[in-house]
Amino acid sequence: MHRPGPFGKALRLSLAALAVIWSVFPILMVISASFKPPREIFAIPPTLIFTPTLDNYRELWRAWPAFFDNMLNSLIITIGATAITIAFATCAGYVYSRYSSRALTLSAFFMVLVRMLPPIVVTLPLFPVFSYLHLSDTHLVLMLLYAAFFVSLSTWIMRAFIDQVPRELEEAAVVDGATLLQILRRIVFPLVMNGVIAASLFVIVYAWNEYIFALVFTTRDARTTPLVISEILSTVEGVDWGVLFAAATVQLAPVLIFVLAAQRYVVAGLAAGAVKG
Amino acid sequence: MSAASPPLAEGDVSAPARQAKARPRSRPLFGGRPGLAQWILLTPAQLLLVSLILLPAIWVGWLSLHAVSFTAEMRFVGLGNFRTLIDDPVFWRAVWNTFLVVNAVVYGELLLGLGLALLAAGWMPFRTLFVALLIAPYAINEVSAVAMWRFVLEPDIGMVSWALEAVGLGQLDWSANPTDALVLASLLSIWIHTPFTFLILYAALQAVPRELIEAATVDGAGGWRVFIHVQLPVILPALLVALMFRYITAMRVFSEIWLLTEGGPARLTEVLAVYLYRAAFRYHEFGLASATGLVMMLLSLSIAAPYLYTAWKRMFARA
Repeated sequence: MHRPGPFGKALRLSLAALAVIWSVFPILMVISASFKPPREIFAIPPTLIFTPTLDNYRELWRAWPAFFDNMLNSLIITIGATAITIAFATCAGYVYSRYSSRALTLSAFFMVLVRMLPPIVVTLPLFPVFSYLHLSDTHLVLMLLYAAFFVSLSTWIMRAFIDQVPRELEEAAVVDGATLLQILRRIVFPLVMNGVIAASLFVIVYAWNEYIFALVFTTRDARTTPLVISEILSTVEGVDWGVLFAAATVQLAPVLIFVLAAQRYVVAGLAAGAVKG
Repeated sequence: MSAASPPLAEGDVSAPARQAKARPRSRPLFGGRPGLAQWILLTPAQLLLVSLILLPAIWVGWLSLHAVSFTAEMRFVGLGNFRTLIDDPVFWRAVWNTFLVVNAVVYGELLLGLGLALLAAGWMPFRTLFVALLIAPYAINEVSAVAMWRFVLEPDIGMVSWALEAVGLGQLDWSANPTDALVLASLLSIWIHTPFTFLILYAALQAVPRELIEAATVDGAGGWRVFIHVQLPVILPALLVALMFRYITAMRVFSEIWLLTEGGPARLTEVLAVYLYRAAFRYHEFGLASATGLVMMLLSLSIAAPYLYTAWKRMFARA
């Protein structure tokens, strides 16, 4: 890449600064406001230097005790959805990587096709079905739905990573009498950990943050964090902003740190599932 | 993110397909045509898709021809639900709002994402950090994003509202003015989803050979001409696929609007997904909601048609 002159550099740096403000400013505002005493939250000009307080977090704990149960629900559902997605996608990705036939291609095309359908639409027939089966408001329903909507992307990611594992290893194992499942578990899976992380990342962010399915299919026992936050946000007697920001901070911190730390896997996952070549 | 739908699937078939081509196709000992065991390995993934997406989608088509509610027996009404939709000004308002928001969001994101991608791909100190900060909104859920943007744009007390007022631009009166609400929802949506578009284009720009850019620069081409003649042709396929995916996923916009206004005031800010949700879960008219759902599905599939067609041809070219 050619190096721009001093003017070009200054221009690029100022644009970069603007871009960073645009993407990070709202997040930082909320995190910092969550540590402010309530009366300072809307101070104008905003107070930059303040004595951080945990009052909002204490109030969250007191006024919304369910919040932490809901975090646990989110955690269980996220882990479950990710495990299901990765297990299913690795199996499918392996078959698509190593085998080919017209019927197989047709099934692969089907995977691409169903992803075009809007998720909210499936709530209409599934709502009565899940009620009838007494599955509404369970962790399982959300895990399966989240897995269903991400298994296709994950399959493509896994397939692209499995493509790079040399077949000779598997051939040697076949000669030694290993079964298909053993090959998959002992030889292929350990070699595609990068793919697993890349695919998991998309599922984790989605399952942790999802709103519509959680809104439709949970009422109490399986409610997830975004739903409580939306409740805090729409409190009729006026929003308690401090508590809202404390809740938002607790919800976003783990996944934000995860995404920033695993940034290269986002790019790798994209490249594998998407734009390589 | 409203991303029950990562726009990421982006040419997803093409990369592995191209790799596979370079390699001898079937080996006598291993690989080749799938047998029973291979189909069994595929079953869990396919079963999820069939039972939770395909069958429900087909069922929605069936439901759309019926009057369905919790209280009464399901009754066949033919195209009655579609007639109700056509006669409902709220539905047309929702169609129009969806059209406006989708286009604002998709093109806003494309311009912003492209600009950021060019910025990040060019001379940039601390590039990794820069890219990480740009994708930060991807980690934020829509509810918190709405909270953040309401915080700074809350009429009279939000700091950006206050700043806008101070410089004489006036505030975004999103709670009372439908247009302002749609503008805020679009801004929010752009903020959350730009990381996708940015990353797709950024990754695509990595594929532009460095020597090509250097050669063009040596030949005296400026930044603009390098972009048009060297970079754009390389990233165009990725750009088109990103555009298609964002059209489809932006059309599903729900949370941003629902959490800001619930479609109000007077149902003036509804989009298709909000109309569907209200019909189903507020008015218990599942038939009407299904008809709306069918419209959304057909719109999505027709937008995706060119992509699906090329994917079909490419995939079967090698099978």
